[in-house]
Amino acid sequence: MNGARPPRLVGTVLRCYPARWRRRHGDEAEELAALLIGDGTPAGSIALSYLAGAAREWLTPRPGRRLITLACALLLAACSLGASAGLLTSVVPARAASPSQARGRAHCRPASPEPIRPVTPAMGHLRVIAQEAWHGRSC
Amino acid sequence: MGRWDGRAGQDVLRRVGEASALILISLADGPKHGYALIQDIKELAGVELGPGTLYGALDRLEGLGLIESLPADDRRHPYRITAPGVAALRVHLDSLERVSAAGRLRLQLGGI
Repeated sequence: MNGARPPRLVGTVLRCYPARWRRRHGDEAEELAALLIGDGTPAGSIALSYLAGAAREWLTPRPGRRLITLACALLLAACSLGASAGLLTSVVPARAASPSQARGRAHCRPASPEPIRPVTPAMGHLRVIAQEAWHGRSC
Repeated sequence: MGRWDGRAGQDVLRRVGEASALILISLADGPKHGYALIQDIKELAGVELGPGTLYGALDRLEGLGLIESLPADDRRHPYRITAPGVAALRVHLDSLERVSAAGRLRLQLGGI
């Protein structure tokens, strides 16, 4: 039965499968649907079966997909660490560069000589928290 | 899913579901493609496999190394059971026989 075409509904559902699956089974799946419909199986039930299969295909973890998830998680973790480190280094150099640091506790003076201007209000809030944490640790 | 390492006595087919076991039973007498598998399973077990279920089970079995895809004949891919597939099917059928025998014995003992 060459060139047998399934109804549009089945064809649409088959497009829900991942490309890798369609390359491997797409043509045969279309032909199989056409043969089953020819035997009297309702097109709706075939479409439903393929739809469930497509959902399973997407939800089943695959080694490649797991690797991508891991890479994304690592990237996210690296970004968070980078942001935290950046936050700390923006506070620490001011303290390290101060000549009074050798004498100790100079940054504990009530008035800071160099007020920190936040880029955004939220960033400023984070900076204050980090500064307070650093201050509490060293004093 | 990794390939089945063929550990003796391990019933891998219990994990992969009834559809996979039926496909292996159907392939035991020779290679078949999707449509022939559906027809054969309907005849031998009275189970109508949906095409979505069929391809999912075929991919799982192939991933486990229990079946292999043969070169496409037109648009159809015939599948063949492999040696580990035969071993896994034997283990599964032995397990089913033991359970079946135990069930029959208990029915006799219970006088049902």
